[in-house]
Amino acid sequence: MTQTGIIPLSLPDLAGAFALILLAAALARLQGSGQGWPLLWSALRMVAQLLAVGYLLHFVFALRSAPPVLLLLLVMVGFAVQTVAARVKSRMPNFHRIVGLAILVGCGGTTFIFSSLIIGLTPWYDPRYLIPLTGMVIGNAMTGASLAAERLAGEMAERREEIETALCLGATSRMAAREASRSAFRAALIPSINAMAAMGIVFLPGMMTGQILSGTEPILAVRYQIAIMCVITGSVTLTAFLILWFGTKSYFNADHQVRDPGAHH
Amino acid sequence: MATPVELLLNQVRKENISRNGQTVEILKGIDLEVMSGALTVIVGPSGGGKSTLVRLLNRLEEPSGGRIHFCGEELRAIPVLELRQRIGLVPQKPFMFLGSVLDNLQLPFHFRHQTPPRADDPKLLLIVQRCGLEAAWLDREARSLSLGQQQRVSLARTLLPGPTLLVLDEPTSALDRPTGDRLADTLRTICRDQGLTVLMVTHDLRQAARIADRMAYLEDGRILESGPAGELLAHPRCDELRRFLAGTAGEEEP
Repeated sequence: MTQTGIIPLSLPDLAGAFALILLAAALARLQGSGQGWPLLWSALRMVAQLLAVGYLLHFVFALRSAPPVLLLLLVMVGFAVQTVAARVKSRMPNFHRIVGLAILVGCGGTTFIFSSLIIGLTPWYDPRYLIPLTGMVIGNAMTGASLAAERLAGEMAERREEIETALCLGATSRMAAREASRSAFRAALIPSINAMAAMGIVFLPGMMTGQILSGTEPILAVRYQIAIMCVITGSVTLTAFLILWFGTKSYFNADHQVRDPGAHH
Repeated sequence: MATPVELLLNQVRKENISRNGQTVEILKGIDLEVMSGALTVIVGPSGGGKSTLVRLLNRLEEPSGGRIHFCGEELRAIPVLELRQRIGLVPQKPFMFLGSVLDNLQLPFHFRHQTPPRADDPKLLLIVQRCGLEAAWLDREARSLSLGQQQRVSLARTLLPGPTLLVLDEPTSALDRPTGDRLADTLRTICRDQGLTVLMVTHDLRQAARIADRMAYLEDGRILESGPAGELLAHPRCDELRRFLAGTAGEEEP
């Protein structure tokens, strides 16, 4: 083993690895599945995108200052909101504002608690930790956010009768939508619960594998993985909670009326 | 014995935006006075705006124009949660919340952070009995009841917090004829015995004729005629009502 703990990967090595893509494309053509060119095209996209990210990270790491790191994190949040918007078909009123705020607070808050208050990152913005950490957290929160928003919209439409009956019986809008919000919350949390329960048995998580590959002691890598799963679960839960809190409200006005009541016709 | 109720509608209009983005006028200027202590039935063909009108009264929806006064106050001046306690609306389809009949009857009190009446509360038992429910059903799962029984639970659930005006949206439309008739008779009795002011909308003329003190005829977003039920039925003045009485008006289901 080398001192750095990792075997350097040269460009010819990379070319060799890329040969496997050519093999895959050739097999796809042989099968006549029509995926030969799409496969090559997406492989090229992967190369270009990863190289771009690599240089961007290299650049941001070299700057050694907080604003570029924060800017990058904000861009990530922006992309996350766009991704959630693309995934969710029926969107609540004020969708972008609510999802953006929820991801920003839900992911930013939990990541900050972990990086600054728990492991005491110095400097607090150290991009080598903060960027990959936030990336993983946002990636998972996106799934939670999509599930929460999509499910809430579905429940609000499906439970229209229940909600209006509750309003007629004197419920506030929040009380009337409680069951709808509850099942959306449940849906958003299921992946995190399942992932934690299956962790280490069904799959070895990517971050831990990566750390082991780069020479970290397995026990330390495991500790990191446990910590990151806690941060992820915390952020998914907080993000979903915020989306449902503000999302539920967005379906009603201050007079406990359902907005856009045209649906009952 | 009951508090006098005044409900006045003045030039009430309601517009909706239809799916293709056009504005549709559902109510085109409703003038109506609901008499205290009487059972008023608004009758008319489906799609005439009856359900929309009902939804304006407890402010599930807001009118686009006109004024509604309830007991001397403009509707919007009454805090909406208080208004929905004073004007009890029974929706068209009885929605039963998960739990027993008693749970359903207690729910409005939980919503309002009030102490709910218990199963042996005399007032609860009186209303249960007046609505044609059996005290023995209180423990039963509400969703296991028949539709007619659920409609009675829905009625009792609205009556129990003591509204001064009871509004019903097509309460018998989901029921078969004998069940619907029994429910209508129940309403008739409650209105008389409790001195409660009742306003009901229906497209079922037979049902309306059976129980109404006063009647109003609503078609295409307008009240074309109103007055004592007997008068309207015996001497309809407008052609639309005459046609409706003759059974030629649109009777399609909503």
